[in-house]
Amino acid sequence: MSIYNTAVNKPISTMMVFLAIIVLGVFSYIQLPVDQFPKMDPPYITVMASYPGANAQEIEENVTKILENQMNSVDKLKEMTSTSYDNVGVVTLEFQWEANIDEASNDVRDAVDKSMSALPDDIDRPTIMRFSTSMMPILVYAVTAEESYPGIDRILDEKLISNLNRIDGVGSVNLGGTPQRVIYVDLDPNKLDAYNLTLEQISNKILAENRDISTGSVKMGQSDYAMRVEGEFSESAEIKNIVLGTVNGKTLFLQDVASVRDTIKDITMEQTIDRHKGLVLIVTKQTDANAIEVATEAKKIIEKAKSQLPPDIKFQIISDNSDFIVKSVNNLQETLLYALVFVVMIVFLFLGRWRATFIIALTIPISLIVAFIYLFITDETLNIISLSSLSIAIGMVVDDAIVVLENITKHVDRGSRPREAAKYGTNEVWLSVIVTTLVTVAVFFPLTMVTGLTGVIFKQLGWIVCITICTSTATAISLTPMLSSQFLRIQEKTEKFTFYNFVTGMLDRLDAWFERVIRWSLRHKTFIILSMTAVFVCSMLLTRVIKIDFMPQNDESYMTVYAKMQTGQRVEITKKIALELDSVFRAEIPEIRILNVSYGSEEEAGFASMMNTTGNNVMNMRIRVHEIADRDRSIFEIAAQARQILARYPDFLESRVSTGSGGFGGSNSVDIEITGHDFNTTSALAQRIATQARQIPGARDVTISRDNDKAELQITLNRDKLALHGLTTAEVGSVVRNRIYGSRNSKFKESGEEYDIIVRLQEKYRTSLTEVENFLITDAFGKKVRLKELGEIKEYFSPPNIERKSKQRMLSVSITPGLGVSLGEIATASQQLIDNLEDVPQDVALYVGGTWEDQQESNQSLMMLLALSLMLVYIVMAAEFESFKMPFIIMLSIPFAFSGVIIALLLTGTTLSMVAMLGAVMLVGIVTKNGIVLIDFINLMRERGIRLYDAIAQACRSRLRPVLMTSLTTILGMVPMAVSGGEGAETWRPMGIAVIGGMVFSTVITLVIVPVVYAAMDKSGSRDKKKAASKQYVFMRDFDPERDLPKNIAK
Amino acid sequence: MKAVFIVYNQALTERVAYMLERLQIRGFSQWPLVHGAGTNTGEPHMGSHTWPEMNTSVLTVVDDQLVPLILKYVEKLDNTNTANGIRAFVWQITDMY
Repeated sequence: MSIYNTAVNKPISTMMVFLAIIVLGVFSYIQLPVDQFPKMDPPYITVMASYPGANAQEIEENVTKILENQMNSVDKLKEMTSTSYDNVGVVTLEFQWEANIDEASNDVRDAVDKSMSALPDDIDRPTIMRFSTSMMPILVYAVTAEESYPGIDRILDEKLISNLNRIDGVGSVNLGGTPQRVIYVDLDPNKLDAYNLTLEQISNKILAENRDISTGSVKMGQSDYAMRVEGEFSESAEIKNIVLGTVNGKTLFLQDVASVRDTIKDITMEQTIDRHKGLVLIVTKQTDANAIEVATEAKKIIEKAKSQLPPDIKFQIISDNSDFIVKSVNNLQETLLYALVFVVMIVFLFLGRWRATFIIALTIPISLIVAFIYLFITDETLNIISLSSLSIAIGMVVDDAIVVLENITKHVDRGSRPREAAKYGTNEVWLSVIVTTLVTVAVFFPLTMVTGLTGVIFKQLGWIVCITICTSTATAISLTPMLSSQFLRIQEKTEKFTFYNFVTGMLDRLDAWFERVIRWSLRHKTFIILSMTAVFVCSMLLTRVIKIDFMPQNDESYMTVYAKMQTGQRVEITKKIALELDSVFRAEIPEIRILNVSYGSEEEAGFASMMNTTGNNVMNMRIRVHEIADRDRSIFEIAAQARQILARYPDFLESRVSTGSGGFGGSNSVDIEITGHDFNTTSALAQRIATQARQIPGARDVTISRDNDKAELQITLNRDKLALHGLTTAEVGSVVRNRIYGSRNSKFKESGEEYDIIVRLQEKYRTSLTEVENFLITDAFGKKVRLKELGEIKEYFSPPNIERKSKQRMLSVSITPGLGVSLGEIATASQQLIDNLEDVPQDVALYVGGTWEDQQESNQSLMMLLALSLMLVYIVMAAEFESFKMPFIIMLSIPFAFSGVIIALLLTGTTLSMVAMLGAVMLVGIVTKNGIVLIDFINLMRERGIRLYDAIAQACRSRLRPVLMTSLTTILGMVPMAVSGGEGAETWRPMGIAVIGGMVFSTVITLVIVPVVYAAMDKSGSRDKKKAASKQYVFMRDFDPERDLPKNIAK
Repeated sequence: MKAVFIVYNQALTERVAYMLERLQIRGFSQWPLVHGAGTNTGEPHMGSHTWPEMNTSVLTVVDDQLVPLILKYVEKLDNTNTANGIRAFVWQITDMY
């Protein structure tokens, strides 16, 4: 019993099966979480080792190199880069995408363990971090306050942050630019000298006074009392009244030699939001958490907390990743709906019958719903990739149902009862329906086997299309016949005007015209073939003009500005310039909604500040502009204007304006990597390359990864003199450190919080070289010596960070393409620049990498994919037609699909990005369908004994409608994708354009070239077959129809 | 009009089809698989484990003049390969719709 017979005989069971699928699908859809991209675990592991007190070069030598050597042999390692900063060394390991990151981090941990013995003894244990894009902030709030500003960190911490941290899936909640309370004890060195005191004595005195000591318990009578000495300061004012001793019978208080201030820390890192004092609240999520859920929950908590917070604290969203995701996913769902409407319209137009249209349209939701079940089972999300996959599939899922229904209708029109028509009509075509599905699956299935970053995207696309197409076939041979048997009616032919008659009349005329075209083409085969070849060659020549890109960038209504000024510049100067720029930006760019400026660096070099590259000479801006609907200019145009404004300031040595908040396509840059050991040669070379790179047309934001050499002051101690005074380098070092950086060995406690008490010299006594040289140091014999007597202070330059790649020192010049310039152009220009570079030192290697390199890699995997698809398609078709030649004729339509892609991209000014190329690969499966339908029917006509040209012309005439119909459904299914303009549309628009272009062009060409080539290749073939047959059947060799057949029978 | 019943080892199917085509005989009915055995020397063709082979039979109603031609080529075909048997039997057609 075949599936379609069962379906027709048991309509209720069939309906229930599909109802069950729909129910499961709707359930899955409701449960599906929303995210931007499919789940991915980027294979990065970062090892951070801090070794306080060492400069970058020492870190490189003693920490980074040792770690690198050990980790070099870790399995599946793709690339190892490292950066050595002052005090900290960071090694980043990039693994192959298919690597299991859990195993990898175990391996890394082992490697770190092994290296511990070789690392310096007093080093902290290196931290191993798994870095992934989902650690990127999902929510950035600007928090402003007036009266509450000084204590804002405590208020937020109590009322908000602890609650936020409790949300499931939150990675971390950070406050940027919080004012910190400290207690400064600023000493006057002259007074200290006069009273014969040292800074260290005072520091220790404060520590000694600020103590609570338990003294045990006292047993009195029947009770046991715990006894304590309470000395801890209950308020900061107590500190200044500490008694240091008695001099000449008078009591000496701390305030006599020092000023004690309970205040906010001197500026280190400051944030302003629209010129108001404020700070930035950053919420990040854990790798496997869902961005939307976390963000929604976090927003709820912030709303709730607002009522408990002082009214002057205000929250504004600077960047909300989840908002963009939700909007773009909604946008795509809307696109999907439009596609559905278009497809149904086309079907109705061609069939002219609403019952038939309804039956076909029903296969769409069923096929799509199965995709939701798949997503739910595999624990995936409703994301941009899965939804665009559905968009691609929507035009294809109706094809099978159309073929089946058309055949059933034919039987019904001939007078069969719908029940029988459904059974026998399906029986006739079910095999060919399955074969065309196999061809499509042959193209999309290899997508599931792609590895690497591109694989993350393609895997889901491949599975979803395969699953929906297979479901649609299953539906076409079960549900479609069942519904046809129930719904189709024998229609009486009427002469009066109906939509059906009108459409059929029009289409009949089209068919007749097409037959004439084909007959003409068959007589001019050489001309047609030559001109088509010419068209193809010309379009391929156009590829030289087309611009190549990696991933289209998204307009997320958000951009960041980074600007670096002279190394060693005081933060106060940076502040002045930053605030000025802030005013200019807000005056000249009307689209700005919120502008957050930060400058300076936090003293404790945290991981976050390392990623964001902060510094006293660095200014960072986060800018949120109005929503897409409320502005005319795109974020890229606004960024271009921002760049122009930045260019007016000579203070900026380097500046960068980036749009988007990371993730895919977050940064598009070409990096020229310079590998070489010597700092001076490589830095000079980088400068030269950067100067030349700025001349490349379209190059923006040319930056050098290595900062300028930083001026440092070095105290060189004379060991003979040290010995004379019984001092050691460590002692002198700590004395100098205490005077400048401050001695922080005690903390002031208030309401459960601890604040540093910083004891150091007053500012005026530590801000000039003379003052520093005159520091008094007490030697081993209690005598005082000046620092200058022990050694001298010299100025020298040191590179602030040392980057290494694959164990070699490296620095890179990165170039971002400007508006309308593609990455490919910049890469070609950079390669030329390198090739033409004169007198490159011998031991320096140059290499063009960056996003460009990733692009090349994914191009390679796409090419592999294309080859694999082509082969599989050939195999499936050769098997279907039992011929080596037929698949070749059918596949002639593929090159023209590529021509169409190129022409469409050129006409719309779209760059050839990875997404567009993916569209081109998909076309292999989509366009061959047309050829299959044609060839299959021509073969059929030939086997029925019709003469070649007649067979071709008749076949083309009768197959024109199905070909146009399936092509139009696919094309119109993609139209909403190609023209949509909302959030996130930039990502999938190129795919829509590519598929439409390729489809239109190749459908038109296929309809002509396939019959023509068929005719050209088949002629000799059939005649040979006849000869071979007569040779084989010897027993009838003497038969001559002219002579032997009776005259009245012989024709 | 005469009815010609041709029954043969199914291995001869293509040759018989070729013969009918050359003789321009369009109308026929065919039983692709039939069981049977020759009267004198023929091996049984029963489609069983013991006699695995099968016969095919064709019944065609033709003009009287064609009958000798059919019989001639059936005989020739039988002689080219005696192991695969073929026989033709002719009836008179009395009435027709």
